[in-house]
Amino acid sequence: MDTAISMSGVAKRYGAVTALDGVDLEIAAGQVYALLGPNGAGKTTLIEILEGYRKRDAGEVSVLGFDPQRQRDALNRHVGIVLQSSTPMESLTPREMLDFTARLYDQPMNTDEALELVGLTEHANRRGSKLSGGQKRRMDLATSVIGNPDLIFLDEPTTGFDVTARRQAWDVVRGLTARGATVILTTHYLDEAEHLAQRIGLIKAGRIIFEGDITALRREMATDTRISWQPPPALDMSTLPEEWRSVRVGADGRLSLPTQTATQHLGRLIDWASSHGIGEIPELQVERPDLEEMYIEIVDDSAALEAAERP
Amino acid sequence: MSAANALRSVRLGGVYTLLSLKATYRQPVVLFFIIAFPILFLIIFSSLLTFELDIPAEAQGTVPVVTFSQYFVAGIMASAIFGTSFNLLGISLAIQQYDGTLKQLAATPLPKTSFFIGQVGTALVYTVLQLAVMMILGVVAYGIDLPDAQGWLTMAWIILLGVPAGCVLGIAITAIIPSANAAPAVLQAPFVLLQFISGVFFTFSSMPTWLQWIAGLFPLRWIAQGLRSVFLPDAYKFAEPGMTWQLEMVAIVLAVWIVVGMSLAVFTFKWDRSS
Repeated sequence: MDTAISMSGVAKRYGAVTALDGVDLEIAAGQVYALLGPNGAGKTTLIEILEGYRKRDAGEVSVLGFDPQRQRDALNRHVGIVLQSSTPMESLTPREMLDFTARLYDQPMNTDEALELVGLTEHANRRGSKLSGGQKRRMDLATSVIGNPDLIFLDEPTTGFDVTARRQAWDVVRGLTARGATVILTTHYLDEAEHLAQRIGLIKAGRIIFEGDITALRREMATDTRISWQPPPALDMSTLPEEWRSVRVGADGRLSLPTQTATQHLGRLIDWASSHGIGEIPELQVERPDLEEMYIEIVDDSAALEAAERP
Repeated sequence: MSAANALRSVRLGGVYTLLSLKATYRQPVVLFFIIAFPILFLIIFSSLLTFELDIPAEAQGTVPVVTFSQYFVAGIMASAIFGTSFNLLGISLAIQQYDGTLKQLAATPLPKTSFFIGQVGTALVYTVLQLAVMMILGVVAYGIDLPDAQGWLTMAWIILLGVPAGCVLGIAITAIIPSANAAPAVLQAPFVLLQFISGVFFTFSSMPTWLQWIAGLFPLRWIAQGLRSVFLPDAYKFAEPGMTWQLEMVAIVLAVWIVVGMSLAVFTFKWDRSS
């Protein structure tokens, strides 16, 4: 299979903050690839390096065979880009902007086709300043595809949308991918990645911590069972069984242990409790968290990390 | 850059010019200010200063008498040329660099050179529009004499060199603008100062020599002098530095500014300064 994007050892720092910490990535042509991760994980930095907006501090990048940092003009003729925020020309209409954009590409589709694809035909002659948020976003999508690009970048295409608008936007994106282009999508919504992407890269604190399809992600994240309970306030932690001494402590003081041998760990915990005169372990729970929960756990982690890094 | 690419850049520059003009034309307020400001200046100054220009004793009787309006129209037109290209362009670019408009444009395959061509093309159209309106007003309301054939020709090349010189400077200066809010201040300060020392509001030769020197480093002073040669009787060159119109120097300085400014602009221009 052809490779659309490859990058190795890509790093980027902003002052003291590391945005990307040695990222390696291979994306096959014709694929929809979702870069999934919480805010501040490095998604936008990564995608903007691929688009040529940002310079990397280290590493190699090839996008459709071009180095985006040095050959941006040549690369731009083959890609479509939807930025994280849209800024349409206020006094121009979608039709006028699309007619203009089409002329910048070698083999564009016609404007009506692009309008139809994003469901903007009715509003084709409305000025940019009069478009709703969702319509502006569709306009961005139309602009990104009108040149029949080989590669489309979508940076958080549905952030700020309500549920219905997101569903509609997904349909639009599926329409785009049906045309055979490679799509790189960033999102912090797990379900968005699940609905749209064949392959998912999970990014956290500037590193890709998982790559694979949704089934693999499910397997990777949700295999562990979680035992959790609420220790009494006066408990001497050093008396706990070894595996409990360095576990995750929740905001409410709850201890939780992800494990693949739940029965064994539970036995040890019960033995410990009875030998310490605890008849009933407070709020004991044994559960198998779903994918969404595991993802939120990761997101929370990073949010806490980010908060800690900020002065 | 290959010939095909160069051709494409120029063609797309034209396409982008038309788009920008359409966008402005849809915004009557912007259009109004572009045209109204220099005209207001013309009206106010021509109404305030109704005297005739001083003629030195030795030249009395040999040169025709000229009103201040006739002198001032050259300066205010120079100011309009430089204002539209340098000042207006610089401010609007800076705002668009911070609000994401240009970042969005950079997502398309519009080459940077086409973008620059588009800015120059747009400024040229505004300038011609402004000058035409001022000319009509000047003739009708203030009895200004229209240039002769030679004068029109001189005016044409001064516009064709002056506007790009101002534009590339306007693009280049955006490199030092720290925020969208600061843009008007950063652009306005040099523009106002240059107007005062470049012979727009006062006769240039009445300035101290050192100020003439400083003004001589920038395009406005040369555009103004070139236009005086268009609007004043030839005999008035006695009041110019070196007692000639220095049209060769006007052309040289503007051309040098285009080259220097363009290099600066290409080197320092950024589509996005918001992050």
